Parts: sequence; structure tokens; C-alpha cells
Amino acid sequence: MTPYETSATSAAFDRLSSLSNTGLSRRSLLKWASAAAGAAALASLAGCATPTGLPGPGTYTVALNRSLVSLDNKLNQFDAAVTVQRAVRQGLTRISTELTPELVLASSFVLTSPTEWTVAIHPDAVYSDGTRVEVQDVATALEMYRTTAGSFLATFFPEWPVVVPIDDSTFILRTEKPLPILDYLMANILITPAAANTNEELQTGVGSGPYVVKSANRGTGNYVLERNDNYWAALPPIGTIQVRFLPEESSRVVSLRSGEVDVIDSISPDSVDQLRGLPGVKIETTDGVRINQLFYNFRKPASHPLADPAVRKALSYAIDGDALVNDVLVGSVVEATGVVPQRLTGSTETGTYEYDPDRAKSELKALGVTDLELSIIWESGEFASDTQIMEAVYEMLRAVGVKPTLRQFEPGGDISTWRQGRAGDWDVLGNGYASPTGLAVTLLQGMYAGTAKKEETRDSYHGYVFPEITDIIGAASSEVDPTLRQGYLDEAQQAIWDTWPCLWSFAPKAVLARRDRVDGVVLGPNGSYQILDVSLKA
Amino acid sequence: MAPYILRRLGQSLLTVFLTVSTVFVLVRLAPGDPAVAYAGPLATTEQLDTVRTQFGLDLPLWQQYAVFLRQLFQGDLGTSFSFQSPALQVVLERLPYTITLAVSAILLTTVVSVPLGVWMARRADTARELSANVVTIAGQSMPEFWTGTMLLTLFAVLVPILPASGFSTWGGLVLPTITIAIMQIALISRMVRREIVMNLQAPYLTVARSRGVKESGLTWRYAMGGASIPVLTALGTRFASMLNGVVVVEVVFAWPGVGSLVVRALETRDYPLIVATVLVTSVLSVLVQLLVDLCYPLLDPRVRLGKVATS
Amino acid sequence: MSVIDRPSAVTAQQLAAAGSTRRRRGSRLKIWIGAVCTLLVVLPILLANVLPLPAANSQDLSQRRLAPLTDGHLLGTDQLGRDLLSLILHGGQVSLLVGVLAVSVSGVIGIVLGSMAGFYGGKIDAFISRVLEAQLSLPLLMMLLLVVALFGPSLPVITFVIAIAQWPEVARLTRSLVLVEREKPYVSAARVLGLPRLQVLIRHVIPNIFKQASLVVLLLLAQAVLLESALSYLGAGPQRPFSTWGRIISDGQDYITTSWWLVTFPGLFIVILVVGVNLLGDGLRDRARRRKGAKS
Repeated sequence: MTPYETSATSAAFDRLSSLSNTGLSRRSLLKWASAAAGAAALASLAGCATPTGLPGPGTYTVALNRSLVSLDNKLNQFDAAVTVQRAVRQGLTRISTELTPELVLASSFVLTSPTEWTVAIHPDAVYSDGTRVEVQDVATALEMYRTTAGSFLATFFPEWPVVVPIDDSTFILRTEKPLPILDYLMANILITPAAANTNEELQTGVGSGPYVVKSANRGTGNYVLERNDNYWAALPPIGTIQVRFLPEESSRVVSLRSGEVDVIDSISPDSVDQLRGLPGVKIETTDGVRINQLFYNFRKPASHPLADPAVRKALSYAIDGDALVNDVLVGSVVEATGVVPQRLTGSTETGTYEYDPDRAKSELKALGVTDLELSIIWESGEFASDTQIMEAVYEMLRAVGVKPTLRQFEPGGDISTWRQGRAGDWDVLGNGYASPTGLAVTLLQGMYAGTAKKEETRDSYHGYVFPEITDIIGAASSEVDPTLRQGYLDEAQQAIWDTWPCLWSFAPKAVLARRDRVDGVVLGPNGSYQILDVSLKA
Repeated sequence: MAPYILRRLGQSLLTVFLTVSTVFVLVRLAPGDPAVAYAGPLATTEQLDTVRTQFGLDLPLWQQYAVFLRQLFQGDLGTSFSFQSPALQVVLERLPYTITLAVSAILLTTVVSVPLGVWMARRADTARELSANVVTIAGQSMPEFWTGTMLLTLFAVLVPILPASGFSTWGGLVLPTITIAIMQIALISRMVRREIVMNLQAPYLTVARSRGVKESGLTWRYAMGGASIPVLTALGTRFASMLNGVVVVEVVFAWPGVGSLVVRALETRDYPLIVATVLVTSVLSVLVQLLVDLCYPLLDPRVRLGKVATS
Repeated sequence: MSVIDRPSAVTAQQLAAAGSTRRRRGSRLKIWIGAVCTLLVVLPILLANVLPLPAANSQDLSQRRLAPLTDGHLLGTDQLGRDLLSLILHGGQVSLLVGVLAVSVSGVIGIVLGSMAGFYGGKIDAFISRVLEAQLSLPLLMMLLLVVALFGPSLPVITFVIAIAQWPEVARLTRSLVLVEREKPYVSAARVLGLPRLQVLIRHVIPNIFKQASLVVLLLLAQAVLLESALSYLGAGPQRPFSTWGRIISDGQDYITTSWWLVTFPGLFIVILVVGVNLLGDGLRDRARRRKGAKS
């Protein structure tokens, strides 16, 4: 080494000379490295997913806003799911688009005495595996629905009928008190083979419906249903149905626009506005059987301002219903004029909401209520544009001197513990409630027929317990004579309205957006339709 | 080399262990009844009791931890109540989609950022490089949800040439990949530029230059060699962190991977699912990181010969 | 001998000379553009309360989703008739506040712990470095989301969570800076004079590295703003009806084809701010590097 060479340059020299001598060592190192990287890449490629494949032209694609966790309705009854669930499983009857019961698995369903209905199972009715639908299946199904924890269907049955078999395919449904709406109620009980039925939601298993589950990826919410070749009635036109899960409304709208999806629901009025008039897209809408409410929390101590119906009514004067209906909801809903949507059979108009902020202020002052803090909770996705309504209501309440706070819950989260009063305190709940039978009395039964016993297990509707009202509703449910029944229903609804249960409420229309290649979608008021009527134009 | 490998392995195990324990502790610390969190809001009192015994929620914290670890080794991660199936199964059903997205994003990043970085290094401090510099800074400044939404609107709605959501065709991979890659390319290309510039000024380079090696050869065969280690490790680290869930992009494009799954799980407070997701993704990402670090000895002889500390 | 020496000397000098003017201009340009972009966003945000804008929460349900430049609304209105510019500026106040607080906290924690690790070495260094690496190995966004989901999306929680996410980077840089400082003559001189180590650290070492460490903190401000907006986009933001940038964008996503301004403008504000801060930090770092290069 000469004085001018530094050790760095000599090291560099060594490196360079070794490279030019062997010419391979660095290259072989790089080869090793790329081999290692390649191995890692291959390993990860093995874990890769491939595209699920475009649905063929004969496939009908449905996009849901919630993940379809099961094909059973013991717990989940959101509208889009109902359509898919009933493609696979059926009940003895179903509610038609005119809101009357139609026979499905039953070939006859007759009231033979005030407390007895005689039912005959359709002779052709078989499950997709070929076995017949039996009386025992019905009995087990009723038992399972009755004992499912947290089932909201249970609240609709004032009493559970007992199955008394007559022969292999005929039986009696017996109740203690007359239950004239049992044919409506049984439309919600889906029938599965007794051995396979449990008091939880069924993930697998056979049904008697026109489609069977070919593949189910619960994690991604992608299901594929195929036509049931053993279907006991006329085969449906569509051969394959694909169910997808798109939680964001913007994804659903965009996918429908581009034709990736054939039908979507749970769209806000703004999206409906956007889709209307687009080529290839059609909107289906009809009056709904649902009521969306800003419901007061009735589990308050007697000293609380909200325990006074006058206070509850005074607060409602602060809400500008017209602005909410016409501006925020783009005229797609109707402000409530009663406690149930007027489309329901047996509904009555009992009053209206008025907008008078000055009156709100003066009445609150007269009642001695100042600086009222109001906590409003809701589950996002509960009804279309719910968040906007809540934010608008917030400002309207502030304008009359109330101190509101908002608390948004995510779908599937723990809002149910709050609603049961087991978690924090709240004052107003944003909630939607549908009548799965199309009858007013079912809604009244589920919401307003609270009893002290139900409240013990927190099963009453947010603490709404008014024994006199419960009695009237009970009388209506067991009254066979239609005129008398209507009298009871009118009385009950007026009494309920006078307790002022809601800060505001409205009845939305059922709405669906579809591609125009889809034919035969007859949207029922409950937001679902029969898939076996749907066909695809070429 | 052996002590290096052993040390890295130990570190990886520790990391997984730490991640899962952190989640465990955080979940137990949260307000509310953990039994409800495990069983779901609709559980009956009996179901809550079952869950309590099953997860040992009445026991003191350290015993709960023992139960948790025991179940972990048995592969039992509980049932996700929002999906109504075993939590591990839900995660594994969605994992391949995230892997696909991560692989395609890292490939695009590598293919674009390395040449771009070299280009920027060769023209360091020129006007063109300055504008490239600004462009890359812009790339790393755009929030992914915004870039994704804009791309989605442009190419799936206004000019509908690509699918808007999900993974029905290979085309569905394009927009999410580009969205992720924009930020990664910006970061990695700047890093490549830095490394190459540093190497271009190294003494051994000047020796090579004096021996008449062409500029392009200098860059690609010599400087690149020195830069390859930090660049490869950076790429590997990026890939590993992508496997942890490219959360925002998956949400924007309704991509059925673990990123969107974790958001859902957190929204619904589905604790078995949260724990399962974090566990699986962190194991996978630690594994990738480990593989990358194990390549180190292959690339850098100094490490192989134990001459240089690599931490 | 000299054959080997001269070429390398000439080349290095040439490289240095040729690049230096361009580098100086480059870094100055970056600093200027960066400062302008940052101020373009920050000034209106700071002045939001005195600017002649409608209040951020004043809804007008009959004026929903107006296009920009209609009826006195510079950037249009949102789905409840609120002025978009006002929403953005007021939301930005919170985003900026969270960002500044978060990086301040992480800066303080990071500098303190990092310098302790670098200066004292030994067990303290080992411990702090382990904690640092451990935290860096945790999946970032997932952990942030988890903490916010568990403890509620309030402003203190979000600020705290972002600060915790960022302190390791500050600490790591500080530690390496301090390691270098520690070897400098003035430190041993101070020790020889009998000054206690803590005093040397606080009164001499930290002030010397402060400028460099704060550059990292500046760049972390950009990252904090991006993190906060991502969290808010995913729903982990402050409770409604107050919205920060991320949520304004996620609410506006439903209207992307009919009211594009709801997504575009908040996003632009984020981009310009973050680009500005990044450019500024980058330019300052270049200038500091150059100055250090010229010195040694």
C-alpha cells in the first residue's frame, strides 16, 4: 500500500478485482436473493384470491346493505334479506302485495272455531332433498321461534298456538283466546325439517323454497343460490342468484349504475333522485308498512321532564316536519298522522304534527322546563337518510333552547343493550318498525302492548307500559267480529297518540332500484318481493 | 449468521405475542361487560354465563390471560356473533383477498418506483428532478380515501371502464391497486433516489468511474447493489404492513378483505373477531418481515460474516 | 498513486460545486412553495371565526347541495344546506388542533425519551429501544381504530392515540442525533468541568439537536393530519353533528356524481396542507443538510 491509497480504496480494489476475477460472486448472491424473494412471492401468491367471476347473463345479482348471516329469519328481518330468505325457506302462508294472507305450504288454512284453525299441508310440498313437509315440522318450528333469545317475532304473538295433529298432513292450531290473525302471523314462521331446526338462526339445512344454497361465504357475504330442481310447484325462471354484500350506499348505487348488480335497496331519497332517469335503471316504489320514529324513552323516573306527555308534545312543536319531508327526504315519505302507517289494515288517523317553534318555547317555559338536555341515539342504516334527519333535528331542537346531543351507533353494534336500558341513559331513539303482517294490530301488539312482566326482562318497547292500552289491544287481537275489532283498534290508537310516544315520526315508501333487464319485480309494501316471479330479459 | 437468524426469530415471536397481548389487554380494559362483547347484544343470561365460564371472564386478569393463551394454542378463537361462525374461519375466508391486493400493489410499486427513483437520482438537483420531487411529495400527501374515491368516480362512474366494487373480474383489482400504489411509489422512489445518490458519491464508485465504467453501468450495476438492501427491506416492510390490512382502500372499494373486516368488527364490537383478525394479520405480516430480514445475510456479506450489527 | 488520488478528488469537488447552486435554489423553492401552501390553508382556518361566513352548523334545508358560487356560498352547500367552506374551515380547526397537539405531545415524549436513551446509554437505552421497536411493530391503523372503538371517539382520545403512534419516530431520530452529539468535545469538556450529566443533557445537548428534531416533528404534523382524516373517514371522529374533514368526505361520497364539490374541496384542503407541510419540511431538511455538509 502506498501512502496515497486509503484503506477504503484498497477495499474497493479488492472488491472490484474479486468481481472481475470470479465475475460470479455478486451475481450469485443476487440470484440467491431473487430466489428467496421469488419463493416468498410464490408462497404469498398461493394465498391469493382469484376473482369471483362475473355472473353470467342468466344470473340475477342482488346487493344487500347488511351481511346476510343466515337464510333464516328468527333474528334477522331486514327487508332485502327477507326476499332472499324466502327464496330458500317458506311458511304456511305469505303476505301478498295487497296485504292479505296467501297460501303457500298450506293448501287450506281455515278458522273452524273461534280458538281453532284447521290447516292442511299441501300434498305436493316437499323439501329440496325430496322429503315431505310434515306436521311435526310445523310444531317444532313454532317451538323454536318461541324460544329463540331476542326474537322480535315473539312480540307479535299474543299467544303461541299449540299444534294438534289430525293426520299426516292436517292439524289444528289451537289457542286459548281467539287469535283471528293467526294466518297472517304464521306467514313469518319458516318451516324446516324438525330434526334440523334449532332456536338459533339456521345457516345450512334444507328448505322447501324454489332455490337452494350452492355456495355460502359468510365472511365476505357472497352467496350463490341455484334453482331447486325438486321444487314442488312451478319452477322459477331464473337459474342462479348471486347475493353480494355492499355496506356503503355509494357502492351499491355505483354498482347498479354500471350493471354489476341487478337490484339494490336501502337507498336514500337523494340516491333515488340520482338514479331516476338514468338509462338502464328503474325505480320501484310503493306505500310501505313501516313507520320510522323518533321514539321517547319511557324508562324515566316520574320526576323527569320527559315523563310528562305535555313536555313530549311541546318538544314536537320544534320539529319542522315539512322541511324534513320535502327537503331532506325529497318528498319520498309521508309524515305520520297516526301511530301506525296508514297503509296498514286497521289503521286510523289520530292527529298531526305541527311546526311552531315559538309555541314550543313558550310551552316548555310554562311547564317549567329550561335547558333540557336531550340525548338522541340511533343505529346508522336504520332508515334512509337517518343521519341527516338526526342532524337536522339537532338544530331544530337547539333553536328552541334545548341542549341535544347525538350518539350514532354502527349497525350490528351494541345499541340493543342501550335500547333495553342496560347501558347508558338516552332520551330519544331513532328507530324503524315494520309490520310483517300488514296489519295494524301486529304493530300495536309489538310496540304498545307492554306489560310489567315483559318489562322485567326488558322486553317491552323501551319501557312503554300502559296497562289500559294493553288491554284494549288484547281485546282487539282476540275479537273475531271485524267491526268490533276496528272499534277497539281506533280506541287503542287514539289512546296511544294521546300519550305522545314520538318526538316525530313518518311512514316511508318501500323503494327498490333495479336494472331494466329485470322483469317481474312486484315490490310488496314490506320491501320484499317474490324471487320466483322475477325473470331476466335477454 | 446463526445468531442473527435466532435473534430475528425471537424478535418476531415477541412481536406477535406483544400485539395479541396488547389487544387482549385493551379489550379487557374497555368499559362495558366483556361477556356481552363476546356473546353479542342479544344473548340471554344463560348464554352470558356460558361465555363467562368459557373465557374465564370472572377470573383475575392474569388467569384470564392464561385461559386466552391456552385457547389460542388450541386454535379456538371464539365465535363471531356478527357473522355467526367461528371467528378464525371468517378471517381466513377474507384473507386471500387482502393478500391479492397487497401482492399486486407491491408489484406495481416496485416496477414503477425503482426506475423512477433511479431516474431522479441520475438527475439529482436538476429542474426536472425538482418537479418530480414535488410530484412525489404530492403523491404521498393525498389521503387514500380521497384518491380512491376520485379514481372510482372517474373510471367506474363517469367513464365506466372499470368495475366499482368487489372482485368479480381482474379489472376490479386495478383501481384499488393504483390507489395504494400512488402513496407507496412516492415514498419508495424518494428513498431509492436518496440511496442511489449516496452510493453514487461513494469512494468505490469513483474508482469504478475512473476505470471508465459508463454512467448507466455505474448506476445499475454498482450503486444499485449498495442501494438494494435498504430498498428491498423497505419494500418488504411495506408489503408486510399492507398485509395488516389496507383498511381505507378496502372500505372505499368494498373489497372483501381483512381491512374492511376489521372496521366492521370494531363497529359491531365483535371482540372474538377483532382478536382473530389482529392475530392472523400480525402473524402474516411478521412472517413476511422475517423473510425479508432473513434475506439480509444473503445480500450483505458483512452480516453473513457477523461483522456488522444490523439493528 | 496520484493517478488514483486526483480523479476522485476532482470528481467529488465537481459534484459538490455543480450541485450546490441548484441544491440551494431547489431547497429555497421548496421552502417557499411549502410555506405558501401551508399558509393558504392554515390562515383561513385560524381566521374562520372572524371571516364573513355563515356559521358551520347553520342549516338551511331548502338550500341543500347548492353548487359552488351560488347564492353567496363560495364552495357550495352540503346535504343539509350548510356552507361548505365554513364546514371545512371549522372542521379544519379541530383537525389542526388535534394534529398540533398530537405532534407536540409526541414531540415532547419522543425528544425526552430519545435523548435519554442516546445520552445515558446502557440499560436505559436498551429498555427504551425495546419499547420503541415493539411499538413500531404493532399494526398502526388497526391499533388506533381499536383504541378509539374501545374508549370512544372523543378529541382527547384521538389526540392521545395519534401522539402514541408517532413518538417512536421522534425518539428514534433524537436518539441517533444525541448519540452523535455525545461524542463531541464540548460534552466531554462539560463533564470534565464537573457538570452533572442531566444538566449537560438539558442545557446543552438538547438545544443543539432541537432544530433537527423539530424538523421531524413538522413532517409528523403532515402524517397526523392524514391519520386524523383517515380515522374520521372511517367513522372514528368526534360525535355528530360536528364533522372534521374525513367525515365531510365520507358523508359527501353518496353524492359524488351529483354534488362533486362535497368530496373534492375538503380533499383538496387536506392535500394542499399536507403537501405544504411536507415541502416545507423537506426544504428545511435539505438546507440543514447542505449547511452541515459545507461546515464539515
